Amino acid sequence: MPMIMLLRQIRLFSQVELSRLWLTRRGLMTLAATAVVWFFLLRYAIAPASEILQEPNFQKSLTAAFGMLGLHQLLNWPAPELTLYWMLSLILLPFLSLVFTANQLSSDAARGTLRFISLRSSRTAIVLGRFCGQLIVQLCLILLSLTATLAISAVRQGGISWQAIEAALLISCHLLIVLMPFTALMTVFSAWARSSRLALSLAIVSLGVAFGLLSWLIYHQPDTAFLLEYMPGAQIWQLIPAQGWQSLQLAALPLAQTAVFLLIAQQILSRRAL
Amino acid sequence: MNNPIIKVSQLTKSYGRHKVLNNISFEINTGETVALIGQNGAGKTTLFSLLCGYIKADSGSMQLLGQQPGSQALFGNVSALPQDAQLDPAFSIGEQLCFYGQLQGLTARAARAETERVLALVDLGSHYHTKAGALSHGMRKRACMAQAFIGSPALILLDEPTAGLDPANALHIRELISDLSQHTSFLISSHNIFELERLCNKVLYLQDGQLQQHHAQPNESTAHLSLQLAAGPGNAVVDSEEVCQQLRQLAGVKEVTAGRNHEYQLSYQSQVVDDFDIRLLQCLAANGWQYKQLSKGKSLEQQLFARKKMAAV
Repeated sequence: MPMIMLLRQIRLFSQVELSRLWLTRRGLMTLAATAVVWFFLLRYAIAPASEILQEPNFQKSLTAAFGMLGLHQLLNWPAPELTLYWMLSLILLPFLSLVFTANQLSSDAARGTLRFISLRSSRTAIVLGRFCGQLIVQLCLILLSLTATLAISAVRQGGISWQAIEAALLISCHLLIVLMPFTALMTVFSAWARSSRLALSLAIVSLGVAFGLLSWLIYHQPDTAFLLEYMPGAQIWQLIPAQGWQSLQLAALPLAQTAVFLLIAQQILSRRAL
Repeated sequence: MNNPIIKVSQLTKSYGRHKVLNNISFEINTGETVALIGQNGAGKTTLFSLLCGYIKADSGSMQLLGQQPGSQALFGNVSALPQDAQLDPAFSIGEQLCFYGQLQGLTARAARAETERVLALVDLGSHYHTKAGALSHGMRKRACMAQAFIGSPALILLDEPTAGLDPANALHIRELISDLSQHTSFLISSHNIFELERLCNKVLYLQDGQLQQHHAQPNESTAHLSLQLAAGPGNAVVDSEEVCQQLRQLAGVKEVTAGRNHEYQLSYQSQVVDDFDIRLLQCLAANGWQYKQLSKGKSLEQQLFARKKMAAV
């Protein structure tokens, strides 16, 4: 397929996913659920914890306790709200991503809608288009929650600095890259499963079994511990204390994982009877 | 005209041990409207799915417009109404058809215009903004059919196009297919023999995984007539034995068989009498019998299933 046609179809699929978020009842429910979750996190976790993070005694304690691990770097974000947002998002969003992106292909396949689409588009374009669409949707949700976090910071500090905006952009880039392999993993399972619920269950069970088997293997063969570094999300612990744009060098592994998962999803959908 | 738009050769498809299609071969030429007939489970939908590229064949080859099924060169040139496929209930039918048009390569504006055109074709012009989930079964079916007409493809595959439609809409769809068949080739699967008889000039009959090809306009020396007499209040009492006896006395008649509901099948030598139908009408008038329906040739149903019955006997 000519590359221009492929890119055009990916754009069209992405536009549909954006419309699904902003213009359908289900999408608006997703937005509402996200807003509620972040309201409680911002109101009852991030805002009060930001005050604590600013106390000099707490900062000294944190540096003393976790200085070896580099966690004191967390205090270097331009606003304490961003520090807490960064930590919460890195841990929460991969799990939420599994839930929100579980229905990339399975419903359309079960309903037969993919039969209409596959007469007009290659299965490769369908896989890449749906994946990109889900990423853009998640980027929207990240930007919305980050904007709310910056707003809380601005209210508390009485203004907002350029450094805070730049840090927010860096956080959104990092989070998008962190979510890529999880979203691609759900592309795989939604290409294979007959429903989004089954796709989600399979993903959770597969990740659990993979971690379990690796743990067992590492227990018996400690030399194989390096395999854990190739699991989706393995770079998250290195990312927590990371600062600055140079930390994007940690993106290589999730990008490679994403490419592998998308290739598997493409192969599954190409062989699947529609 | 002898330009195959579909060429299938030695196609085989099995599900487990059950061989659904067994080494079938056929060709469909440009401009033909072809019926695909068979009992439930005969393999019609499997053949459709193979031609659309939804599933892979075990062996054999298929070409549509000279391309493999599912090939990118077919996007926009081949379309289909798959059985039981539904549009996304979350979006309006206009949005979805517009999206399909754009996937085929149309600009947003052209896709919108094309969507309005095809929705008007199936009498859903006023439902552009209606969500697929809010439509009745028949309207959803027509919306699904509309997507098959986007971009005026060269070949359209329709699996049960009028199933679930009310008689008025079924008639409308038949007329629409008839009009479009001037420029487009159709392969239509249906259990409605009368519908296929009206629309199609070639029949593919699937039976036990094998294909029997049948042309709807045979060139035989023996001609056939189908007759149905009117019965009930205001009409003479009809005794089928007597009717058969009278009809057998007509010149050139080879065989008369009585069916249910005052239906009769007549076979006669067309070379012997060229005004047989007039003589038949005169015979009916002389006996005071009113006819309800008189048609030349055997119905497709009789051609296909009477032969099957004879084979079974």
